[in-house]
Amino acid sequence: MRFVRLAVPTFALLLATTTPLAAQNGTIRGQVTDSTTKQALQGVTVRIDALSREAQTGTDGSYSLDVPAGTHVVRATRIGFGPVQQSVTVTAGVPTEANFALAPQASLLEAVVVTGYGTTRREAVTGAVSTIDPAAANVGVKTNVDQMVQGRAAGVEIIQNNGEPGAGSQILIRGGSSISNTNDPLYVIDGVPVVNVPTEPSSYGVGGTPALPRNPLNLLNPADIASITILKDASSTAIYGSRAANGVVLIETKKGNKTGGPTIEFDAYVAAANPAKRLDLTTASEYRTFVEDQNALFIADSTACPQAPVDTLKACVGRADGLDSKHLSSLGSANTDWEREVTRTAFTQNYDVSFSGGGDETRYRASLNYMNQPGVAIANGLERLQGSLNVGHSAFDNKLRFNVNGTMSRIENTYITFENTGGFEGGVFQNVAIFNPTQPIMATDSTGVTHYYEVTGSTSVRNPVALAKQISDRGTTSRIIANASAEYDVATGLTAHVTIGGDHSGASRQLYYPNDNPVGQALGGGLARQYDLDNTTATIQTLMTYNRPFGENNTLDVLGGYEYTKFNNNLFMAEGKGYVTDAFSFNNLGAAKTRNDSSKATDWRLVSFLSRANLGFKDKYFLTAILRYDGSSKFAVGNKWAAFPGLSASWRLSGEDFMSGSPFSDLRLRLGWGRQGNPGIAPYQSLVTYEGGAGANYPWGDAPSTGVIPTGNGNPNLKWEQTDQYNVGLDFGFSGNRIAGSMEYYVKNTSDLLLNVQVPPPAFSSTSLQNVGKLKNSGYELSLDWLAMSKPSLTWRTGLVFATQSNKVEDLGPYTFLLSGQVSGQGQSDQWSQRLLKGQPLGTFYGPVFVGVDANGKQQFRCTAATSGCTNGLTTGGLGPNSADYAIIGNANPDWTLGLTNQLTKGKFNLSFLIRAAVGLDVFNNTALVYSTKSNALQDKNFLKDALTDPTGLHEPAIYSSRWVENGSFVRLQNITLEYNLDLPMLTRNARSARVYVSGDNLVTLTGYSGLDPEVYASAGLASRGVDYLSYPRPRLITGGVRLAF
Amino acid sequence: MKRIFVASSIGLCALLLAPIQACTNLDETPPSAISPGNFFRTEGEVLAALAGVYAQLRGTVDDYYNLSEISTDEMVVPTRGSDWYDNGTWLETHRQQWSAASPATNSFMNGAWNTLYAGVARANGVLDGIKKATTPIPNQAIMEAEAKTLRAFFYYQLMDLFGGVPVATESPVGSDSAIVPRPRVTRAALFTFIETELLAARTALPVSWDAGFNGRLTKGAVDAILANMYINARVFTKDAAGGTGINATGYNSCTGITVAGGLDACQAAINRADSVIASGQYSLANPYATAFNADNGTSPENIFVIKFAHESGLGLNFVMRALHYNQYTPGPWNGFSATSQAYLQFDTLRDDRAKVFLRGPQVNVETGAPVEDRSHNPLVFTVTINNVASATEGEGSRVYKWPADPKHVAQDNGNDFAWFRLAEMYLIRAEALNEQAPGGAPALADLNFVRARAFNPDVPRAAIDHAAILQERLFEFTGEGKRRQDLIRFGLYTAPFEFKATAAPDYKVIMPIPQAQIDANPLITQNSGY
Repeated sequence: MRFVRLAVPTFALLLATTTPLAAQNGTIRGQVTDSTTKQALQGVTVRIDALSREAQTGTDGSYSLDVPAGTHVVRATRIGFGPVQQSVTVTAGVPTEANFALAPQASLLEAVVVTGYGTTRREAVTGAVSTIDPAAANVGVKTNVDQMVQGRAAGVEIIQNNGEPGAGSQILIRGGSSISNTNDPLYVIDGVPVVNVPTEPSSYGVGGTPALPRNPLNLLNPADIASITILKDASSTAIYGSRAANGVVLIETKKGNKTGGPTIEFDAYVAAANPAKRLDLTTASEYRTFVEDQNALFIADSTACPQAPVDTLKACVGRADGLDSKHLSSLGSANTDWEREVTRTAFTQNYDVSFSGGGDETRYRASLNYMNQPGVAIANGLERLQGSLNVGHSAFDNKLRFNVNGTMSRIENTYITFENTGGFEGGVFQNVAIFNPTQPIMATDSTGVTHYYEVTGSTSVRNPVALAKQISDRGTTSRIIANASAEYDVATGLTAHVTIGGDHSGASRQLYYPNDNPVGQALGGGLARQYDLDNTTATIQTLMTYNRPFGENNTLDVLGGYEYTKFNNNLFMAEGKGYVTDAFSFNNLGAAKTRNDSSKATDWRLVSFLSRANLGFKDKYFLTAILRYDGSSKFAVGNKWAAFPGLSASWRLSGEDFMSGSPFSDLRLRLGWGRQGNPGIAPYQSLVTYEGGAGANYPWGDAPSTGVIPTGNGNPNLKWEQTDQYNVGLDFGFSGNRIAGSMEYYVKNTSDLLLNVQVPPPAFSSTSLQNVGKLKNSGYELSLDWLAMSKPSLTWRTGLVFATQSNKVEDLGPYTFLLSGQVSGQGQSDQWSQRLLKGQPLGTFYGPVFVGVDANGKQQFRCTAATSGCTNGLTTGGLGPNSADYAIIGNANPDWTLGLTNQLTKGKFNLSFLIRAAVGLDVFNNTALVYSTKSNALQDKNFLKDALTDPTGLHEPAIYSSRWVENGSFVRLQNITLEYNLDLPMLTRNARSARVYVSGDNLVTLTGYSGLDPEVYASAGLASRGVDYLSYPRPRLITGGVRLAF
Repeated sequence: MKRIFVASSIGLCALLLAPIQACTNLDETPPSAISPGNFFRTEGEVLAALAGVYAQLRGTVDDYYNLSEISTDEMVVPTRGSDWYDNGTWLETHRQQWSAASPATNSFMNGAWNTLYAGVARANGVLDGIKKATTPIPNQAIMEAEAKTLRAFFYYQLMDLFGGVPVATESPVGSDSAIVPRPRVTRAALFTFIETELLAARTALPVSWDAGFNGRLTKGAVDAILANMYINARVFTKDAAGGTGINATGYNSCTGITVAGGLDACQAAINRADSVIASGQYSLANPYATAFNADNGTSPENIFVIKFAHESGLGLNFVMRALHYNQYTPGPWNGFSATSQAYLQFDTLRDDRAKVFLRGPQVNVETGAPVEDRSHNPLVFTVTINNVASATEGEGSRVYKWPADPKHVAQDNGNDFAWFRLAEMYLIRAEALNEQAPGGAPALADLNFVRARAFNPDVPRAAIDHAAILQERLFEFTGEGKRRQDLIRFGLYTAPFEFKATAAPDYKVIMPIPQAQIDANPLITQNSGY
């Protein structure tokens, strides 16, 4: 309570104080029940809008509200039920009873929708909004909020980067609006926008780019989330202006409940995870047989070296077909399944305890979470300790309301080394694919010392188990997200709001590549790094809202505000190289032979003025107008400020007389337009700046002199990317809203795309960030909810989300095309799998068209007769494809995506499942391109089993072509959960509810895709999509848990 | 009402985040970078920026160097299994099959263009910065001359690859007007621009630097660049092959080209080479190998070098490109190989310079221990490559001219790379004298003077002609990024050679302007033929 005591005088000082009202109070109380099952309903919000007063029903369905004497309109709402309101006349000092019976309806029709800087009745919503029921979504192992949204909102495509615990995700709401900029939506937690950037410094990539960062939202416990709302169209997101081009995800955390006394809830689960699919590598015995067969071929090949016993003649080695005898001697006697050795069954534990309650004036909720999620690969995981506290207080007869939220979390991430886009050295998963399966994990040398087996003399094949276990890589983040707000009712309907938000994360990353491991040795005799990354966001919001009904069923709701956000980032790194012992690990940089350090700081600010007006007329016609004026420090002088308007309207047709008697219980038409920006660029890009560093130094006289170099051209005309979006929506309900749904169609035009374009020389850097290019997204979305059955014995709800999305590059500035989708692996430098082409979508695969393999094992490609080496439209003579013959060979975007949820309740059992599907997408199997090639055996490297039966020759290089672009359509049983409601009071009188459940994640995936998983994301260049390269395997999970409330 | 609200909102901001202007101020001041506007005030600051221009020289041994070697009869990068396939770029380069937007052009030509122009821009930035200084900076004239010479050198390499390119002498700092499309100038005009700039800079540059500044530019460096330009004058002043342009199939003589001061280019080349030789600052390093060792920073033969140091990011990485994976730590890339056509021209038994090739059984270059290939056969480098599109690990001899630095840090070795060393001055003089008096004794004497260092006992040439000069240049400069320029001058660049079965069209003596550059600058026209 110390927070509150401090906060009260502060806010009282800031806001004009006014005379407190003398209270003449009464009480309204009663019970809320389900009209079909007659059961008491918990969690119903009973609210008096005019007084901004509300209560929640307890487990017995009862509520109580203290109100002034008089007549009040009381409204009872709950997700999945139709709202009911009644007029209640209260006499001072006398409790008045008001009971409600709510009829179930499709849960899509949530009564109150969070819209950003406020809430709106569902009927008055004019934009495209998706809401997610966190209770239904938080099943199985959910580490962050992104995972809860997957498959549950139409037009929101979420792909987790890989199967790492707490992996980051790529989120595209309506297809994403940018090429080089971020396509992440804006996350707003309890009204405060969050700068969603990685909290931990990135790792060290050995010859490749390091794995993508984990999700910064892991710092927020999914069990603390009360609601998730996704604003999709511009008319609803325009209130967030410059940051809203990719949509907005509004997250509200749980608050205390003043009814029914303190509640203690305890949730716990244990989950077992396994890799969902295996790479299918050649086994040790298959590999042995292959080498022996190839050796027989070598000996039989008399054409290459006819004069001598071929297997002894050096000149023949590598020239004759097959493998020479040396390869036999390099076969080991072990049978190692490297994939099995680096993976495991991992057990996750998660515990949530929360304590909430309150009285008339003060409400509180405190919670604590502990999660320990080891990865399905060895030696990595995520451990989280998180606490949150929420306190609300009202004073002056509820005219002044305070709220303080704080989430404090600490995450310890342990990492293994693996690459995102792979280089030559590779990480754990590359070596799983290539490390010789006939070799052991451990070996004992002549002195009797047992150590990890490494191939002698080799510098590019590493024992993957040793990589995982010997290299230490740890990241620790502490984050505090806190906000405090005050609201004061200045006059009837006029309220002033102040919110102060702070978000601070402090993270360290500690790495050690030991001498014991050949990678550590090659990096300079042991390499240690320590990083420190500090991100701080401070936000101030002041708002005025005016909310007033007038006339008959007319409403006016006006909002004006100011917002200020300041972001600071500070990175420090120190490195030591060359250690006499590995015993210091990363803890004694001073013991290194050479040291190196660096630091960098950035900051930016965003200042906004925002306003919105909602007008409701006769409860049938609604109009919303939004104007936001944003200024960002990141843009050029003169272009720092821009206005972002939005205009939308809806018409509740079902309220019209001419619709009476129609089958529609609800029918609304919505139209909207808006403009938003995307400021997701790094700061200072409008300026020419000089920096120091190794690249600037020059060793005159053989001793490096400190230099400075310009780091970019600076674009003095830099401005916002601008997205204009049009939306048409139709909301409908049938048979008393037991079936409800929405259909949407949108067109999103993004112009002034920020692209790093080639500039005419001479320039400090060959490219400059400029506003060129246009992108168009359009699509249909359908959300459907059906309360299929509602009887005391059985309830069955089913929901469907369906979306089509198409995007097209309309203009690329000076470029005819841009290369993207970098291909990973040996011999793949300068190879790109995708092109951004005018008139084509982002994620267009472009390359040689594969025709087949000829009798000599050479791959053949389609060609035009005009080029040399081309006969009858086929490449001949072993010549590779000519770049002039490259063509469009795939599209990484699905034709449509679907999510299907079902929830069945029968007696004490509750069964729910989520099925997701995506159809018509192509995936580039980069893993197969590089690792299903037999030529790996020339270097005693393993390969994928497919290559054994493949006619491609032993010496044929891996050439990117349409051969490796596969259909990635899939249907996935994302989650299935069975819950049983225990009658615990029979055992203990204290428990109000007790439920046990068992849940399965990612149990079944139906797909024709041959790789590990068709859902892939590897940041492989500009707006790249659908490139699958040796990712961390995705888990299949079985969870068992218990939820108790006391 | 609204105004009051705005004012009170901002007032609140001010209360919490003093000072008050913070509330709507969006000015940017990068905390960890500097702005050119408040730099260039002291000698130290200008020198730091000048170091940044020199630092860009390191980029010249990447794409410019690779194109100058791999597109010729001297080196090739075979595809070994999947390794070095790289979208076909290396073989496309060797076979001279590039076009305006082919993979090699997108990668190597575009890379060279961007690298060299970034050097020009950095030099322009320093020159602009010095100009704006309000008080005189000590040694200003020397530093300006260095910046201009470096800029001229970057333009020289652009001219060599692409012909006439857009020329700008002002920096892109402060306004966007400097990043504007500019048309190409003719190659002859670019030649004259570079020549004029170098001649002007020469007067301010010192003859030598003390040990602490070894590697900074001197009068000798300017003379060397000019001597090279003059010997190539016929090629460097023509915009295309054929007709009165470059002779793609015959020798392009410096005679008959008039350069600064009304001199014939051959005489100008002789004068510049004389100037270097007579300066008394340089002598041939002996033995030959000492010109390339890790401690070659003090080699008496160095005229214009890129300084490298055994520090992260500051080293030479040639060992990585050529050596086998197992010959050095960290593991090299097993790429660049010498062609047998080049190797077999050497007098491998007697010519000291043939020792730069690695062939036969191989050892780890750091430990001397024998190494195996990845199949655990002893690693043997063969002279011939059976199938360049499907080579084995050991095929192809390797140019190992700059041996591993014992103090190397990972792939960073401290060997300096000389763009000009004294031997070339003798060979340029020999070539120019030979144009004035074909087969003459002074020309032969210069040729044999260089040759004498490499043989013990001496095996002088009896006669001098174009073939002898070209061959001697191969022996002397193998791996030094000179071969493309030489072959073009001698009319042999487009001719068939090993792993390039048929002659390339004449127009390939000038590289295509990468399509991306034409896209970015509509005023640029493509070189003829592409």
